[in-house]
Order: sequence, then structure tokens, then C-alpha cells
Amino acid sequence: MSAAALLVAILAALGAAVAAALHGPVVLVGLLAALSAFAAAVAAGAAAVQLRAPNTLTEPRHPQGPSAPPPLPDDVLARRGAFGRLWWIAFAAFALAGLEPLISLGRMPRRNGTAWRGGARLVTPQGTPLRPDDLAVGGVTTVFPEGRVDAPESAVLLLRLQDGVMQLGPERRDWVQQGNVAFSKICTHAGCPVAIFRHLTYELYCPCHQSVFDVLHGAQPVSGPATRALPQLALDLDRDGYLVARGDFAEPVGPDSWWRTL
Amino acid sequence: MILRRVDRFFDERLGSDAWVRYVFAKLYPDHWSFYLGEFALYCFVMLVATGVWLTFVFQPSHAGAFASVIAFTRATPVGYLMRQVHHWSAVAFIAAIVVHLGRVFFTAAFRKPREITWVLGVLLLVTASVTGFTGYSLPDDTLSGTGLRIADAVLLSIPFIGGWAADLLNGGGYPGPLLIPHLYVIHVYFLPVTIGALLALHLGLVFYQKHTQFEPDPAHVVVGRRFWPDYTLRTLAVFFATAGVVTLLGALIEINPVENYGPYHDWLVTNPAAPDWYAAWLDGALRLGPAVEWRIFGHPVPAVFWPGMVLPTLAFLLVVAWPWIDKTITKRDEVGDVLVPPTAAPWRVGVGAALVTAGVVLTLAASDDQQAVGAHVRVTALVTLYRILFPFGSIAVGLIAALLAAELHAFRAGRGAERERVVELVRNAEGGFDAREPHST
Repeated sequence: MSAAALLVAILAALGAAVAAALHGPVVLVGLLAALSAFAAAVAAGAAAVQLRAPNTLTEPRHPQGPSAPPPLPDDVLARRGAFGRLWWIAFAAFALAGLEPLISLGRMPRRNGTAWRGGARLVTPQGTPLRPDDLAVGGVTTVFPEGRVDAPESAVLLLRLQDGVMQLGPERRDWVQQGNVAFSKICTHAGCPVAIFRHLTYELYCPCHQSVFDVLHGAQPVSGPATRALPQLALDLDRDGYLVARGDFAEPVGPDSWWRTL
Repeated sequence: MILRRVDRFFDERLGSDAWVRYVFAKLYPDHWSFYLGEFALYCFVMLVATGVWLTFVFQPSHAGAFASVIAFTRATPVGYLMRQVHHWSAVAFIAAIVVHLGRVFFTAAFRKPREITWVLGVLLLVTASVTGFTGYSLPDDTLSGTGLRIADAVLLSIPFIGGWAADLLNGGGYPGPLLIPHLYVIHVYFLPVTIGALLALHLGLVFYQKHTQFEPDPAHVVVGRRFWPDYTLRTLAVFFATAGVVTLLGALIEINPVENYGPYHDWLVTNPAAPDWYAAWLDGALRLGPAVEWRIFGHPVPAVFWPGMVLPTLAFLLVVAWPWIDKTITKRDEVGDVLVPPTAAPWRVGVGAALVTAGVVLTLAASDDQQAVGAHVRVTALVTLYRILFPFGSIAVGLIAALLAAELHAFRAGRGAERERVVELVRNAEGGFDAREPHST
């Protein structure tokens, strides 16, 4: 039994190697390799059973408990004084000094804002600038500032709604251009792209943790774990009639942190 | 012959033959559940073997990672299998550690003097999980990139030092230019070396302190099998079986097909988006966590901090400290070389079952969106359900498990008493038999 299984293991291993070298089908290579391993397992297991070795052999366990070492010479223990204690302070100082290199690793600036600037045209990921009529009513697309496609934290969802359905405060009235409204695509909860627009209920939905944002009320969170609205990008039209940003977001984009200032 | 000459070579220089003989004659208690840890060990062997190969074909940079993964996966069957077997070994590794941990927990193998082995084992579970997550993130695909983004948000949420910690990993901003190189060196160097060191200590202690056993031990002896050749063949069989399982899974079931997801951009995402199984409980916790952002000293503490940082830290502390919690509850601190059958301590079964249930509820919550679609219910209804089940379902399952364990124990004890009753049959005057106590004649 053991020898036969081992023979199968050898043949299957060689077969797997040959099949792999000839770029044979992946499943064949994998199955032969697995067969080889299983056959070897059977060979070893069967050999162990055939030994009929007892599982009732005994040997003593170590004595447990504290050891009883011979006493140390007096001079090893006696030398404790101010000098000895000073070493503890020295080690503490070394540890503190060692903190500085560690701290310096994280000092790079974080949260520099996004790539949006006043007058930057909204372009698709392919770089095409958009006019207010390019999106059909109910449509949605991802846009970036012109020349900065793929810039970190700068992805924006441009939505086209019926004129006048948005219920924004007076200060945001002119952030909308002919039904075009724009929000940061980066979720304020954990930073996933809020990629799904439920056009029947005017909701943005995040596939990661199911936060739902109410577009008509400025993308306020209405369900799920998010606590903060998606920042809105104020829109304008340039002289050629293309959609442009009025400036960077007024609030920080993406997940919050201790140092976030509002 | 060659082995004997090698042995003699070292023996003449180091006097090592006595030790070699001791190792080969050493006894190991035998029970099927003792092989679970070995299954985990051999998964790690498979991970190292396939992982070393993968370092030769993978390009650890944001620009090249995804393309290199696609290239070597498509080029040869070996490349595809290596990646498949590596990923399957990783998920099996962590699964084996969890099941092994459960065995040690439910049989109280963590008691004195093995608390250190327990702590090392828990550290191995944490290290293995982080290694799994960093490796899963290396292809820089849309799904794993989303996971990294969430991890970034969780790091960022830590009060005071969050920004520093997130920048440390990212190398500035998100997605930082150094993120993939950082993950790479963490995944192929820091963490595997840590796992190797923890494993060496963990197994060294098992060797030195000797394994626990189910056999009663009044004479203070190990009851078991000799290492050579008996146990050697058995563990060899476990190794090859492990290799066979992960290879078969790798050959037949596609795991993490990144070519379907595409390369990562911080504005693209898959739907659904859920991580590997061992990280799902954390993702579930993020989904169930309350939508509250408290302010402390005027600074925001983001909602992800509580489920993403505090919950896993508390869970880790609870599990690490379990040997000491257990001795506080049982008020016993004696040497425990003999394992406790799980049913003999129903309260511990209850605690374990409650913890497992809590983990399962959080894991299920990580796919609540897909369940909502499948069951035609609102995802918010499932969130509410899981929020209730997380504490109360866990307690209920714990109580039921404790009661069942107590019943089972009583039932077994009763049957055992019946089986052990020995009687003597004596012919009586009517031609039938009478039962008598054996010593009464």
C-alpha cells in the first residue's frame, strides 16, 4: 500500500513537472501536483499505521516550578548604587532620543487639499471638458480638474438633475449650473468612492459600508455609518460655456481625523 | 549511511549525538486535534515556498505591481498556480490557526505552565492576519486598493497620532507613492521574519515543556508516540495532506481574480466590495458601527475609530489575557498537563461559543449588502438585525452552548458509570441467572 502510493506520488510529481514545462492546462498541472502530495500523504500515513507502534509509551515530564540555582557570589548582587541607577536614566534617555527618528517618518504633510482651483474645467477621466447640456437629466459621471485626471482625493461626481429640484441653502444656490451639481466622490466615512447613484431617490450610495447621501439636501448622510456630508464643489461656467470650479472645496475631502479643522 | 556520517561529523565536534537521540526518541501525545496546529505550520511552509518564488516575478511599485501580476499569471501555468496556492495557503493558514486556537481554548491547554505558548499563538494569529492583508493588497487592484483606503481611514482616525501613523505607512498623502514598496517590505520581510521567530518560540516551548495530553497523569509522565519513526511518518502525512489541499484548491477554485477587478484608482470601486474572510469581521464592524463623531477637546474622533481600532484592540486584549482571566474565574493555578474535555467546563464552552458567535455575526455583516439583494430586504434592516445579534445573539448562543455542554457531560458521566459496573452471574435454583457483586462470593 505504502510503496504503491509512493510510486503514484513519484509519477504524478514527474507528470506535473512535465505538464508545467510544456505549458499544459493549469488544471492538469495543479491536479497532478495535488495528486502527488495526496499520494505521498497516503504513503506516509499508511506506513505509520503499518508500524503498529504503541501510543502508550511513557516518559517522565520535567519537574515544574521555580528553579533552585546556586547562590550568586556576594559581589554580583552587592554592587548597586547611584551609578547603577544612573544607567536606567541613561537607557530612558536613549529611548527618548530614538523616538525622534520614528516621529520624523510620519512628518510628511497630509491633507493638502485637492487639485481643484478656481476656473479649472471639469473633465471626464478621458480628459473631455463638459458643457451643462452634455449630461442627460438623471445622468452622472466622474470628473477631474483639467490636466489633473487621477489626482488623489480630487475625484468628483457630476450629476445632472431637473432644474430647481435641489433644496440647497441660499449660500449654495449659485453652486448649481442648469441642474448640474458636483460632490466629492470620496466617502467621508472611510474614503471609498461613493460610486452608485440611485436616480429614483436622488441618493448616493457607497458600496463599502452602505452609507447613503441625500443629493437634494447637499449630500447629507441619511443612512449608514457616515457622519458628514460629501463636500460640494461650487460650479460656474467659463466664457466658452464649459463647467468650471469656483475654487477648491470649502471643507476637507475624505475621511476625518483628529487634526481636521472646519 | 550519509546521515550517520553527518551525525558523526557533528558529534565529534559538538557532542550532538546524545541530543539527536533524545529528539528522535522523544514522545508526543497523540490525538486528532493535535494535528490542527501542524496543519497551520505546513500552510506557512507552503506560503514561504510559493512566496519566495513570487518575489522573483513581482514588481513592488505603484506603477508596475498590477501589470507584473497579470503578466506572470498569464505567462505560465506555474505562475498562475503559485499565486493561487499562495493565496489559498494564506486563507487556510489563518483558518487553521483559528481552529487550533479554539482547540487549545476549549480543552484548557493554555493553563500553567503554557501561558507563554498561548500568548505567542495569539500574536501569531495577529501577525498572520496582517501579513495576509498586506499580501492581498500588493497586486494594487481595485478591490484591495479599496481595502487599503479603509485601513488608511482607520489609521487616520486614531486620536492625536492618526495622521502621523497613516503617513508612516503611505509615505505622504493617499495613495502615497511609497505605499506599495512599504507594504512589500512589510509583507516579504518584517512580518514573515516575525512569524518565523514567534513560531520558533511557540514550537520550542511545546518541545521543552512537552505536549499536553488527555490521558490522566497521576505518575507525571507523557503518554504518547515516539518521534522516530512513528510520529515522523504521521507529521509527514499531515504535511503532504496540507500541500495537497492547498494545491487542489489552487488548481480548481479561482481566488482573488484581480484581472477582473482592474488596477487601482482612488475613484474606482467594485460592487460588492468585501475583503478576505479573516478581515471580514472588521469590515462588518465598520458597517455596524454607529454614525457618531464625537469631539474630544474640540477635536473630532471619527466614527471608524470605535469599530475599526477600539473593538479589535479590546478583542485582542481579551484573548491574550484569557489564561489569567480563566484562572481568576476558576480560582485554580495548578499545573495543567492533562487536558479538560470541553464538556467538563460548560461555562468555558459558553464563553467560547459566545465569542465565536460575535465573530460570525460581524463576518456575516460584512456581506449584508449582498444578503439584502438576495433576500429582497433593505440593507438597513439587516444592519439593525446584526446590531441586535452582535451582543444578544452571542449571549444567547453562549448560554445554550453551556447548557448543552452540561447536559452532554452529565449524559456521558451516566453512561460511563453504567458501563463500568461489573457483575458476576450466578446460576440460581430456577435455572436463570442472578447478578452478584464480584467480590461477594
